[in-house]
Amino acid sequence: MNKTTAILAGLGLLLTASSAMAKDLHVLNWKGYGADEPFATKAFEEMTGDKVVNDFFNSEQEMLTKLRTNPGLYDVVMINAAFMQQALGEKLVQPIDTATIQNYGDLDEAQAQSKMLNVDGKTYGVPWTWGLTTIAVNDKAFDTAPTSIKEMWKEDHKGRVTIRDDAVEAIQLGALATGQSINDVKDMDAVKQSLSELLPNIRTFWSSENDWNQMVASNQIDLGTYWSGSAGRAKTKFNLPVSLAVPEEGAVGWLDSFAIPVGSTNVEGAEKFINYMISPEFYKEWDETVGAPVSASKRAVAALPEDSFNRKVMGAPEVAERVQFQEPITDQQREDYLKVWQSLKVGAN
Amino acid sequence: MTGKRRDSGLVKAMPLLLPAYAWLTLAIFLPLSAMVYFSLLTSMSPSGQSATLTLGNYATFFSDPLYATLLVRSLELGLIVTLVCVLIGFPAAYVLAKIFKGRAREAIFLLVILPFWSNSLVRVFSWSMVLREGGILDTALNAILPFKVTFDLMYSYPAVIIGLVHSYLPYMVLTCYLSLQAIDDALIEAARSLGASRFTTLRRVIAPLALPGVLAGSALIFIPVVGSFMEPRILGGHGGTLYGTVIEDQFTAVYNWPLGAALSFILLAVVLVILLVSAPVLRKAA
Amino acid sequence: MIRAPAFLSGLGRFYIGLVLVFLYLPLVIMAAMSFNVSPFYQLPFEWTTEWYVALSDNDGLIAATLNSLEIAVMTTIIATILGTAASLALFRYDFAGKRVLQALLFPPIAIPWLISGTAMLIFFFGTGVGRGLHAILLGHVALALPYVIIVVSARLATFSKDLEDAAYSLGASAWQTTRKVTLPCIAPGIVAGGLFAFAVSFDQFVVSYFLATPGQTTLPVEIYAAIRKGFTPEINAVSTIIIVFSMSLMFVVSRFFRFGGDQ
Repeated sequence: MNKTTAILAGLGLLLTASSAMAKDLHVLNWKGYGADEPFATKAFEEMTGDKVVNDFFNSEQEMLTKLRTNPGLYDVVMINAAFMQQALGEKLVQPIDTATIQNYGDLDEAQAQSKMLNVDGKTYGVPWTWGLTTIAVNDKAFDTAPTSIKEMWKEDHKGRVTIRDDAVEAIQLGALATGQSINDVKDMDAVKQSLSELLPNIRTFWSSENDWNQMVASNQIDLGTYWSGSAGRAKTKFNLPVSLAVPEEGAVGWLDSFAIPVGSTNVEGAEKFINYMISPEFYKEWDETVGAPVSASKRAVAALPEDSFNRKVMGAPEVAERVQFQEPITDQQREDYLKVWQSLKVGAN
Repeated sequence: MTGKRRDSGLVKAMPLLLPAYAWLTLAIFLPLSAMVYFSLLTSMSPSGQSATLTLGNYATFFSDPLYATLLVRSLELGLIVTLVCVLIGFPAAYVLAKIFKGRAREAIFLLVILPFWSNSLVRVFSWSMVLREGGILDTALNAILPFKVTFDLMYSYPAVIIGLVHSYLPYMVLTCYLSLQAIDDALIEAARSLGASRFTTLRRVIAPLALPGVLAGSALIFIPVVGSFMEPRILGGHGGTLYGTVIEDQFTAVYNWPLGAALSFILLAVVLVILLVSAPVLRKAA
Repeated sequence: MIRAPAFLSGLGRFYIGLVLVFLYLPLVIMAAMSFNVSPFYQLPFEWTTEWYVALSDNDGLIAATLNSLEIAVMTTIIATILGTAASLALFRYDFAGKRVLQALLFPPIAIPWLISGTAMLIFFFGTGVGRGLHAILLGHVALALPYVIIVVSARLATFSKDLEDAAYSLGASAWQTTRKVTLPCIAPGIVAGGLFAFAVSFDQFVVSYFLATPGQTTLPVEIYAAIRKGFTPEINAVSTIIIVFSMSLMFVVSRFFRFGGDQ
């Protein structure tokens, strides 16, 4: 009896002690994607006293699985806006009180009001960054960057092209190449035809930034699809001969946002973290020392030098015209795309 | 009579068997049973309302030749890798067991196992250094040969085989070694002194006795290679799509666990049938 | 020892040399790249120790390495003991359902780890076992057990039951027979099984990946996450340290204990 009371008292003491002390803030994100930069976690910890604990996912499906199977563990999660509906449908994220996030007003109006992030007048996601899935080239293979996506299909690049091993990205690439909307593929046969013509040119599929960078470093590829932030990192952080191109056929745009999972035990810390993530201080350092996609905060982008890639190129009106933003995809569509993609790959050898 | 003996056998075996099988039940069999159940669901809807029982996921396998094609391709890969491992591993084990002795043998035995302890992803990345154009093999060959050759195995079927053989060869050397080392040398000498040629001794004396090791090694290699997905993905380039990668896609690219589970149980069934059919045939052949 | 002609035994030694070159080629490259400046394995080679310096500051990677070692050692001990006991039972006794029990060893090997991992995640989550190092250990032992049983059984298949019967007829108890007769004879198999168990656990990333939680993670999980973005030769550095360390450890141990199992 005595023993139990003692243990309970001890536990109680521990609990009060820990709640008075700094709290942990569990963040779920891609690895190496801003939130886990040592300078950022250090600055945030000094600012708030909360300790940042990072956990990572390797695909959106995995992110959802981690949320499903760890209710209450995570405080902040980075979600591609196209997946927000699914997370919301499964009641994995909670509404955010945007009034608590001081920098919220600096966000791009259209992005902040995106229907993908706001449902029934409630905000579930705070837009963080946006970028493109487009083509990047090995500078050693080109004097001037190509202007057409068709460059990848050319005979000269046989065995020197790479694309990501991802069904959705592949189908959307095919849609761009055949002049279709990425969100409403009407002529799937044309897409299949186009991709099967591309496959002989493929050296291999990439699945991580490291794959891409290694292939450029060893001069194994001329060009391929890449993410704009990753291409920036390859250039800034690793000094690799990589340039991004936004072809006339267009590019796929994506919007990444932060959300607060249902059951978070540190909502206050989460709000502070999101606020810091969209601040100019964080973004400027991230883009200049590491390389980043474009911030959703107008004030943050304005903090960059005028000739910086994310301000000059990505902010140019003609680029904005070419971007087709990814919209949510149903599970059924995703499975159909995968089936098409697998068949194409199997037919290729 | 025999029935009684068999029952008492189980009673005696129980204390020794129970811990291992209880552990396997808790950590493997029960979770896999849950997976069998999922493979019979129409969908994994998180709230679980609309899912009903179906055999549809198993039917999917037969509805599209894609899956059967890939399964055959994976089985073929498993067979090739296993064969290469036997061809390289058995002689190595024989030399290790019968020519080396004492400290040297122990040292080499350990050296064969050690590569296992390094990370398989890192090992696969290192192979890309060796196999690609301008890589180590290419450079070395061009340094030796008087004429210029372009040697680029990276992102090809041979690269997948090399990577997998490298990962699984130690299994074969180990299991063969264990059987070979247990063969009494006197037996071999007796066969030789009775006039049997080296080859006859190998075929009639050594091979049958070493068979359990070869079979265990083959099973340990064939089974995981058929389901492998990492090596084909990294080393195989656009030919790296196999049955294992398709299963992986169901879990990582789309949220279709029921289909992924059904595909893996079909794989399991096929592998078990192959093992059951081949074991007696092989035993008879020896 | 078989008296092979000198040229045959020379050939045999040469052959083993070739096999070792094949096995060690990627490891040598891994080690070399941990001293190369380029994070993308670029040549020409430029010497640096910066990755080792970076590693010494990488608390996450070091903690994960220690977790991996701890789990691998525990897995080895538990799986070897339970697995050897089960192999002995399968070898000695005859009972109904024995074949089924033997066949049951194959699913854990045949089912891709991805599925086992997902299955464990769902099951452990549903039953309250949860995730973390304890769950990883639970999973690793289960994955390693079939390997131990298959390897030890392969060795037992070459062991004659007559030896045990002889010991019994001389009045030895079951335990004495096991300890004095059976175990010494199958020791190489047990050691090999243990080494398998260690390797299965130490290199296991799929199952660990699903069962790890932030802060409670293992080295392969860290490596897997790291290659997604910014893989660095720190990974090569830590792998090199592990190989060099285990090599030295094994040679020290082998001075006191005979692995090769001379009869």
